[in-house]
Amino acid sequence: MSATGRGAPAQSATADREIVISRVIDAPRELVFEAFTEVRHLSRWWGPAGFTTTTRSFEFREGGEWDFVLHGPDGTDYQEWITWTEIAPSERIALRHGESRDDPNAFESVLTFAPDGAATRIVMRTVFPTQQLRDEAVEKYHAIQGGQQTLSNLAAYVTDLARKGAEG
Amino acid sequence: MAAMARAATTSDAFNAIAEPQRRDILVLLRGGERPVTELARDLGMRQPQASKHLRVLREVGLVRVREAGKQRLYGLDARGLRPVHEWVGGFERFWNESFDRLDTYVQDLKQARQEE
Repeated sequence: MSATGRGAPAQSATADREIVISRVIDAPRELVFEAFTEVRHLSRWWGPAGFTTTTRSFEFREGGEWDFVLHGPDGTDYQEWITWTEIAPSERIALRHGESRDDPNAFESVLTFAPDGAATRIVMRTVFPTQQLRDEAVEKYHAIQGGQQTLSNLAAYVTDLARKGAEG
Repeated sequence: MAAMARAATTSDAFNAIAEPQRRDILVLLRGGERPVTELARDLGMRQPQASKHLRVLREVGLVRVREAGKQRLYGLDARGLRPVHEWVGGFERFWNESFDRLDTYVQDLKQARQEE
């Protein structure tokens, strides 16, 4: 952690290469957590609307792997691979996510589950090895969701602009 | 047709940045605030033309202006870029949409457990 000296909220050292997404779900956290632990649950919600998964192998334990194919609504298949690096039941899941076991661009996400009244707040913090890999992942996922190729240059451009703008 | 295009351009950031000269202005403003005279000179356009582009960029919230003595200085307004940035952010979208489905699924699960 380093002070920015501009009165801005404290930022972690990885702020320029991470993405944080959070969501409150109106259910007890044991139940929300459970939806992450079995493939019969995961296959019901993993991916945006219209996406499905086909699992080759799945073993939910620290060091275990989930090897699967993500099918896009347009028929495109994406190889996906996940390994769990830490599992603290109902509280926290850390995982590495890539296209295969030897993917050099695999990245880490940490999911935390915290009670929020009767609901549960999920925070997913993903840290990419480099800022460039973060930007590439944003682009890749943009493409997965049917972004037009012709827009990808503009996409990279405005992402860069937004970052510079936010820094300035 | 032309009137429609103009209306759209001034109502959202996506249309505003579709125009190459306006993108050039944004790139220059990344380096810091500038008066219109400098922007026009660096981009090789006439000042009224640069002013017109700046007006569009201000209307969609991409650029702001402040008075500094006799000068009006134009600068980037990052807030206007946020919708563009978020739309572009495919990774966030992927997960936000997954979490939408997770929410629906967990509600079903919750109900099923209560009925057991």
